[in-house]
Amino acid sequence: MSDAVHEFTLDALEWQPYVKPVDLQTATPEQLDALKVTPSNTKVSAYVLVLAQETEMLAERSPLFNDIMYSDGGLSRGGRELGALAASFVNHCIYCAQVHANRFIQLEKRPEVVEEIYQNGLEADLGEYDQALFNFGVDLTAHPDNVGVYQFYHLRETGLSDLEILDLIHSVAIFGWANRLMHTLGEPHRKD
Amino acid sequence: MTTETTVDVIDKVLGLAPASPLLALREQRAKLRHLTQTSYVAALHPTDPRNFSYAERAAFAARMAALWTSQELQAHYRDLAATEGASGDVLSIADPAWKPEDEASRLAVILRHVDLVTKNPKAATRENIEKLYAAGLDDRDIVTLAGIIAFVNYQVLVVAGLKMLRDN
Repeated sequence: MSDAVHEFTLDALEWQPYVKPVDLQTATPEQLDALKVTPSNTKVSAYVLVLAQETEMLAERSPLFNDIMYSDGGLSRGGRELGALAASFVNHCIYCAQVHANRFIQLEKRPEVVEEIYQNGLEADLGEYDQALFNFGVDLTAHPDNVGVYQFYHLRETGLSDLEILDLIHSVAIFGWANRLMHTLGEPHRKD
Repeated sequence: MTTETTVDVIDKVLGLAPASPLLALREQRAKLRHLTQTSYVAALHPTDPRNFSYAERAAFAARMAALWTSQELQAHYRDLAATEGASGDVLSIADPAWKPEDEASRLAVILRHVDLVTKNPKAATRENIEKLYAAGLDDRDIVTLAGIIAFVNYQVLVVAGLKMLRDN
């Protein structure tokens, strides 16, 4: 087995839990339902199998996550990925960052944005629009008790609508959640 | 049931009136607003609370809200802890300056984890999970605790962001 990865990377990673995942063979009907396991869909990640230890929360969390990241209208999909990436950099969730950095590249076809963030971290120097989204993600994650007029006007000056700002808030906040699970309940290893 | 499912807790702590523009904005994302509320119930008042009582969950949440000086949520969760019947040590949990006298106790280990993962999640390692096992928590307890911490931190961020929209 390869060593755990503790530095930010864009390489393919595999997350390995510190906590025992639910065994699909012995899972309860409630667990299978929360896992959305069907005869045609039996591929479930170790991460989701760990969360299935607490079925009631997982059943709400999965659709919430999907709605925050993929709902129609409002902030672009790429913009939400940038919010997720900012949170994951502050919280040092290597795995979350890798997944969402690659999704951003896939969606936006602008790998240079991700390269700059991976090079300079929270000090990344980005174009005006990306900078506004990224800075807000950093500020809200690191200092939720200190987000106000300054952050608001920065976003507004960049031309974001109320709905876009709302979507950004949620995409950052849901990674305040995801990072605290993924980074604390396991660690990533480089795929062989 | 004390954790009311019909009242949206975020609307409540932000004091959003029915005519509030922010409420109208939230309703443009009605699905996630609803799922945020159902996640709140799943974290604070699940059908089977198992090894974390409702009072203890509310007190943890009050502590985390206090760690972020989220006054609205702190007040809400202190009230909730009281409503859920918190007393003695469980009531003390809500104060982030408080720690149990026995620093090796289950509760002391749990509170150190709550504080670390709330304020400095990047510093968490495998060792922190090992400490929870050593304090007697099982696999499900550890995932439950992680879920409560993660949800409340999400909620703190959502409330902080919405407050920014409300006040500007």
